[in-house]
Amino acid sequence: MRKFWIDTDTASDDAVAILMALRTDDVDVLGISVVAGNVPAEQGSKNARYTAELCGKKTPVYMGATHPLMREPEWAYFFHGNDGMGNMNYPEASLPLQKENGVFAFIEAVRANPGEITLVTLGPLTNIALALRLAPDIAKKISMCYTMGGAAITLGNVTPAAEYNIYIDPEAAKIVFHSGIPLLMVGWEHCMGEANFSADEMKMMRSFNTKYADFTLDCNATAISTNQNWLSEPGLALPDPVTMAVALDPSICTERGSYYVDVETIGEATHGMTVVDKLGVTNKPANIEVCWKIDIQAWKNLLYERIK
Amino acid sequence: MPQKIIIDTDPGVDDTIAITTALRSPELEVLGLTSIFGNAITETTTQNALRLVELEGHDSIPVARGCEVPLLMELEGIASDVHGRDGMGNTNLPAPKGKAIEKSAAEFIIDTVRAYPGEVILAPVGPLTNIALALEIDPGIASLIKKIVLMGGTVSVTGNISPVAEANIYHDAHAADIVMQASCPVVMVGLDVTEQVIMTPQYFEELFKAENPATNLIKRILPVYQEYHDRFRGMGGSTHTHDPSAIAYLIDPDLFKTQSVPVFVETKGHCKGKTTADWHKQWESRVDTEVCMEVNSSGVLDLIKERLTK
Repeated sequence: MRKFWIDTDTASDDAVAILMALRTDDVDVLGISVVAGNVPAEQGSKNARYTAELCGKKTPVYMGATHPLMREPEWAYFFHGNDGMGNMNYPEASLPLQKENGVFAFIEAVRANPGEITLVTLGPLTNIALALRLAPDIAKKISMCYTMGGAAITLGNVTPAAEYNIYIDPEAAKIVFHSGIPLLMVGWEHCMGEANFSADEMKMMRSFNTKYADFTLDCNATAISTNQNWLSEPGLALPDPVTMAVALDPSICTERGSYYVDVETIGEATHGMTVVDKLGVTNKPANIEVCWKIDIQAWKNLLYERIK
Repeated sequence: MPQKIIIDTDPGVDDTIAITTALRSPELEVLGLTSIFGNAITETTTQNALRLVELEGHDSIPVARGCEVPLLMELEGIASDVHGRDGMGNTNLPAPKGKAIEKSAAEFIIDTVRAYPGEVILAPVGPLTNIALALEIDPGIASLIKKIVLMGGTVSVTGNISPVAEANIYHDAHAADIVMQASCPVVMVGLDVTEQVIMTPQYFEELFKAENPATNLIKRILPVYQEYHDRFRGMGGSTHTHDPSAIAYLIDPDLFKTQSVPVFVETKGHCKGKTTADWHKQWESRVDTEVCMEVNSSGVLDLIKERLTK
């Protein structure tokens, strides 16, 4: 069994990503730590617990940081709905929230399984940054970290320069990127355009007639319309599930490279920008990997398989 | 009932005077020491914290190891010229017997505050990284911490580590800015008062006459600290009284006069680590810090001498 840990600001696309991991037979999700991001951590933890329960799992869900390190939170209700789940107002799950703080639980899990845990981050990196400051040894004990965040080859979304997850807590991202953790940054560009699910594809998903397919489309109701109306994108974009797909099957990332990557934390127009030194002009050693290209059909097929 | 405190510390010469004073004061119950970088690296200050609890038989007081680097900034300006490379005046003391507990400093702080809600005063006398981490990880503790009494900053006099910044704040300005926004009461014992409390060579001589383990250790480690004060401030063997003043505040707050004012911390550029009091509330709204502005110097000195020589 492959051991996973998921750190998430659980809203609609996070929920689908969690579902993908929980419905992968050879993956054991040891824990889910929730962070403030799309929605407050309390709402996110409700959404994560609902998702785990939907999948028939008792995965421990922990609440972590309720606030970015140095900045005020900026919720993404406009994108995901007031509950983060397309205003579906799902009932409270009976799966309890763990008492322990997610930051401590994550540190313990990594130390108990050195070299074994695949970390998938789907939200702002506050929890992981805090864990790395408390326990710097864990950077080398994580097998691989797949991070949904940043924008290496395209524009930002919440600002012209920045992708949401990094923008919300750029200081945390800076800590994580420079911590020595092996990390693949999967930017939001990989869910755009062709990687969107078209109206026909969504119709096909609905025809699976499973609770997982319905959940995927229902909880993303707000996200689907915002994606089309605000971003002028063709259909349903699922940034977190793309990253999860790459974590589950790294061959879905077909082009990647190691670079010096920094995060802008001071800029007046650019805070949260991920600055990738592709040409090596800074002469600084590579700190993380960047995903440049994914196999779009393979990504979609993986999602179809998990929701059938 | 003695006041429960946790001392977050980077020992350090003046930390040593502060901690030995606290451990000898019946008004205070030291629940633990948490270590941090600053006067030396965290590895070293953790060892020194262990030495200090063992010095006079307080081995049962736990020492929790703190963060190794500032929250966001680079680690720089370790004060080996002030406190010696070992933080103990280059005296190369023997290794302590005990070990730091498993829990990190931030976790120890969170657990202890939650175990005694409303009862614990945090007394950080080093950079504020551990306190900030604890507040970030578990914001709920802010309403359970009785008070934070910190040594650091200056609002009315020049800095020490830079023209504008006091060293503890400078080492982790982001952490300090987080603490200055905490919703629990925060008391700042800064250079405004600590530089008014002067320990002279005569004062030290009187301390050393006691010849107990505390004063014997202080006597050994002091020369490097005195030399620094002479080299940079021309003090001829006298020193300022930084960390021990914060302990004096905990024992007898009436020795100080405070003013309530929001305090902001600069995190960038030349003025990094500068603490600015917004006296006329011209910047964005922020909770007040109680800033010590006046001190009864002889009262503080008498108190410390009484504790260290009894």
